[in-house]
Amino acid sequence: MKVAFFPGCVSKGACPELYVSATAIAEPLGLELHELESAPCCGAGVLSEQNPELGDALNALMLAMAEAQGADLMTICSTCQGVLSNHNYHLQRDPARMDRANATIADQGFRYGGTTKVKHLLWMLFEDIGIDRVAVAIKRKLTGLKVAPFYGCYILRPVEELGLRERPERKTYLEQLIALLGAEPVEYRGSTKCCGFPMLTFNRDKALAMGGNHIIEAKEKGADLLVTPCPLCHLNLDGQQPDAARVLKQEIDVPIFHLPQLLGLAFGLDPEQLRLNHHVVSTKGALEKVELKV
Amino acid sequence: MTRDHDVLILGAGLAGMRAALEAARGGADVAIVTKVHPIRSHSSAAQGGINAAISEEDSWESHAFDTVKGSDYLADQDAVEIMAQEAPADIIEFEHMGVIFYRGPDGKLGKRAFGGASLARTYFVGDITGQALLVTLYDQILKAGVKVYEEWFATKLFMEGGACRGLVALEMITGELHLLRAKAVVVASGGLGRLYEPSTNALICTGDGYSLAYRAGAPLMDMEMVQYHPTTLAGSGFLMTEAARGEGAYLLNSEGERFMKRYAPNKMELAARDVTSRAEATEIAEGRGIDGNVLLDLRHLGPEVILKKLPQIHEMALDYLGIDMIKEPVPVRPGMHYQMGGIKTDVEGATSVPGIYAAGEVACVSVHGGNRLGANSLLDTIVFGRRSGKASADYAKRTTASTGGENLLASEQARLQELLERPYTGDTPAGLRLELATMMDEKVGLYRNDAGLREALAALKEYQKRYERIAVGDKGRVFNQALEFALELGYLLDCGEAIIRAALERKESRGAHTHTEHPERNDADWLRHIVLTLRDDREPEVSHVPVTITRWKPEVRTY
Amino acid sequence: MQFTIEVGRYNPEGRYADNAIPGEPYPPPWNRSPARRYQTYTVDLPEHAVVLDALIEIREYQDQSLAVRCACRSAICGSCAMWINGHANLACKSKLQEFTKDGKTRVESPPSMPVIRDLVCDMAPFWEKHLAVKPWLQNKQPVPPPDEEYRVPNAAMEELIQEVSCISCGACLMDCESFAVNSEFLGPQALAQAYRYTGDPRDAETKERLGQYSESGGIWDCTHCYECVTQCPKGVAPLEQILKLRKLAVDAGFTNNPGTRHADAFAESVRDSGRLNELTLMPKSIGYFNFVEQLKVLPSAFNLLRAGKLPPLIHHKIPGFKRIKAIFERVGGRFK
Repeated sequence: MKVAFFPGCVSKGACPELYVSATAIAEPLGLELHELESAPCCGAGVLSEQNPELGDALNALMLAMAEAQGADLMTICSTCQGVLSNHNYHLQRDPARMDRANATIADQGFRYGGTTKVKHLLWMLFEDIGIDRVAVAIKRKLTGLKVAPFYGCYILRPVEELGLRERPERKTYLEQLIALLGAEPVEYRGSTKCCGFPMLTFNRDKALAMGGNHIIEAKEKGADLLVTPCPLCHLNLDGQQPDAARVLKQEIDVPIFHLPQLLGLAFGLDPEQLRLNHHVVSTKGALEKVELKV
Repeated sequence: MTRDHDVLILGAGLAGMRAALEAARGGADVAIVTKVHPIRSHSSAAQGGINAAISEEDSWESHAFDTVKGSDYLADQDAVEIMAQEAPADIIEFEHMGVIFYRGPDGKLGKRAFGGASLARTYFVGDITGQALLVTLYDQILKAGVKVYEEWFATKLFMEGGACRGLVALEMITGELHLLRAKAVVVASGGLGRLYEPSTNALICTGDGYSLAYRAGAPLMDMEMVQYHPTTLAGSGFLMTEAARGEGAYLLNSEGERFMKRYAPNKMELAARDVTSRAEATEIAEGRGIDGNVLLDLRHLGPEVILKKLPQIHEMALDYLGIDMIKEPVPVRPGMHYQMGGIKTDVEGATSVPGIYAAGEVACVSVHGGNRLGANSLLDTIVFGRRSGKASADYAKRTTASTGGENLLASEQARLQELLERPYTGDTPAGLRLELATMMDEKVGLYRNDAGLREALAALKEYQKRYERIAVGDKGRVFNQALEFALELGYLLDCGEAIIRAALERKESRGAHTHTEHPERNDADWLRHIVLTLRDDREPEVSHVPVTITRWKPEVRTY
Repeated sequence: MQFTIEVGRYNPEGRYADNAIPGEPYPPPWNRSPARRYQTYTVDLPEHAVVLDALIEIREYQDQSLAVRCACRSAICGSCAMWINGHANLACKSKLQEFTKDGKTRVESPPSMPVIRDLVCDMAPFWEKHLAVKPWLQNKQPVPPPDEEYRVPNAAMEELIQEVSCISCGACLMDCESFAVNSEFLGPQALAQAYRYTGDPRDAETKERLGQYSESGGIWDCTHCYECVTQCPKGVAPLEQILKLRKLAVDAGFTNNPGTRHADAFAESVRDSGRLNELTLMPKSIGYFNFVEQLKVLPSAFNLLRAGKLPPLIHHKIPGFKRIKAIFERVGGRFK
């Protein structure tokens, strides 16, 4: 299945393990990744705040690039998913906005016709690839592992723009997937809440407390690890975890996996192939539970 | 605890807060006593708009005449004139406070049509006018720093030497009873919709002020005039604003006919509310209803108008009935909505009891007479809220404070304690209220007759006896709502008795009071108000007071 | 139809002395309240009944000691906001069928507000924040005479209907993630009302307001998570009002804060290379001369380095990166 693949900025920067693991699982899933190498950053909502027109133009450009490929646009980042969906939703419904955006990107030889579908890998597993195909690809069941899902705000909200009214099941895909892979999903309130990343530079301690509290809640419910479809969440929950522990004056020590890493393990790939040895918080303890070493 | 102020305002809706603001401007030490946070007041449920003769082609005389005719000539015309004259300035004042009124193309206030008006003079904010006014007024109260005793429930007015000197209130959060002394009390506690089932009113509309003032000796006037709103949502009874008909909605019976042409050929759906409600009831009684309802059809207005000008009722119909009014007509029926009668006041909001003032729905000046026009209630609250605020502050300046009241506090404490300690004897406040409210809707509703009214009075007397033994299912002190309900039920019973007695007295049909055995209006004998005064807790004294006529002699009332 | 309701009970007078062990651990961890317990009731109601119908039914016929604020029953008065299955909603607008999970509906006072009794919470934090933003019109001079209104375009009034629709129910604050960790944060409702007055053409204090809201606890303490937008029963979308305030504040010159520096650094990077350069984003947002704050992030930078996650020192430019810069320039505005 051909997809226009947008890896986002972070998987090419501070989360290279995401990019590596995402490309590694393409083959078992039958995904033909056509990377949009010249697509710009989606803006992460930050650019649109101060300059809405710019946000429209940059996103329209990327959507046009995918449209030109004749394929769905696949994201591997909750934030990209949310921002792109938001802009796509409004561009499709507001002709004035679409015209302005198209006028801007026309100079560069692009035009967006409004037909691109934006889907996170997580959604594609259920809606396009199909869980039967996923099940077939499983070579190693993750039995005995307790996995807490951490969605990341922008793959769940705003509800309307993300199509969650038509497809409310998207709010449970992570739990379903975890179960499919043979692990036990952990239920806890923080799974749908904010990791604090957007506030990291504005109010560091509070942002760290936010994310840290959710991990602690999951840990208290027995989680061995958290899995997240968003590298920005990962940066906060994994990258800043030692600092969060300091702020909260509590030990945390819960590894955070990227979604493709969890899938990769289940598909039989080695932890090193998935760069599970390149996390700030060690994944060793969790991997030992499924008799793996890193 | 005992505290002293110059003026106390009972109720924090539009009338109460407007009175408080005015009293504060007059230099009085004013405090608001309210059983719910001001923003929770039922004023926010008023949807359609507020009337004023502002535009060039309009005149206060026209507004006043429409109001008098709408009242079926029972309104006191001097009061109506004042309201119509002062309306423009009061509305503009609210605009200066920041209310986001709808504008016409010239940037000036824009208007819509409403029931019983000879031309469009209703100013509005979407279909949330009451809410827009209330939140803006609350913000002004914050700016002025007025003290609010929030979630304090008044149990009795403090009377000393024949004058009102404050009140006793239960602080819900602690369960402590307090004596609040003042030189004047403005009763602005809203309506009594819970006396009827169904009703558009909130659960908090329990007639507190009527009963408190009545028991302190203030007469109640025109209590029989209970308005049924023509368009309340089937089932729940929630209000579907008259503004829908103002924007052009139709009323249809089961045959798809716009039946109002047979009852009000000129104004059609925008006839006065009593006329429209009776028309609907007749259609339903004669078999042209649909499951006891008629249909409000807005489809021809189009999604643009509905979503821009009537978004709240669109959402309500969707939420509570699953009906999208853009695509389907909405089942509606008459439901009890407003009490035209109330505490008798003059045009300054003063009652015949020194120290007791009243404004808003709880008061009867009377500007609404036998039937209130839509969008006149919001106006009533701000005009007479302002006037009573000023009058009570002025009165307070010339009055000395009381230093008494401890006896009252003690006796109230004992009374509440006794109520709390009563054993269960089979009745709950909720169950008894439902019986009372169902009975009132059946026998003292849109259509009344002698036998029915006498049965109603007998039933009420029986409820009163049962009420004297009613027990409260929560014995705690902190936020005891069961105790609050029991006290509210007492207020409702007083209101019910007043309404029934007044209805028994009026042997004609006028405005909202339709007596099937006296179906015609009889100006010769009955162009007068019916007043009830309670003396020393005996049976109320019934008296008649002439209607003040300035320039409009009663005519035949057709729409 | 039968419905099962689990109600979070609390009575400060300790009538529930036997609730030493709460029904379940109370998330989130920083708001545990051991005095509470859950009590289960069943009610028989029509299938489209709402949570409030159940609570009233319980209160009137089963347990008169249940305390719950309610008045209008039709989503106007804002009294009945509470946690329903862990998210803040109006009880009168939440259908029992939709809010049934594992066979029951759980209602309770939200843990982020102090509780008075059962489902009645202390809304004082909410009202204090509302007051803090000076939520009243500061009239633009000259005020028109008493018989004349300000002349304003209807579009300006209509734009504010969204904010005036707020019924102060508190659902947004109850579920605000930022408020949960930071009680100083003004919160969604207060900031939405802040925009209501800032965006009113008749208000004179725009610049002062924007300055006030840019300070600590204001618009830059929002974590942009859309909880308030999702939970608001009246479509006020508080986050969107906060974002409007952010843009207005930056345009008005209130740029000496990490929020603005963050956006500028982000934009610079995307403009010049097409993608985000995380390496420089953090130090630029903090401000190069803000040594104390820069030192604070050194440990995490070191952790990333050790894990091999530090972004490349030479930031990669995407193919056709010049095209991105051209787009920035063509759009104009901030970030050009």
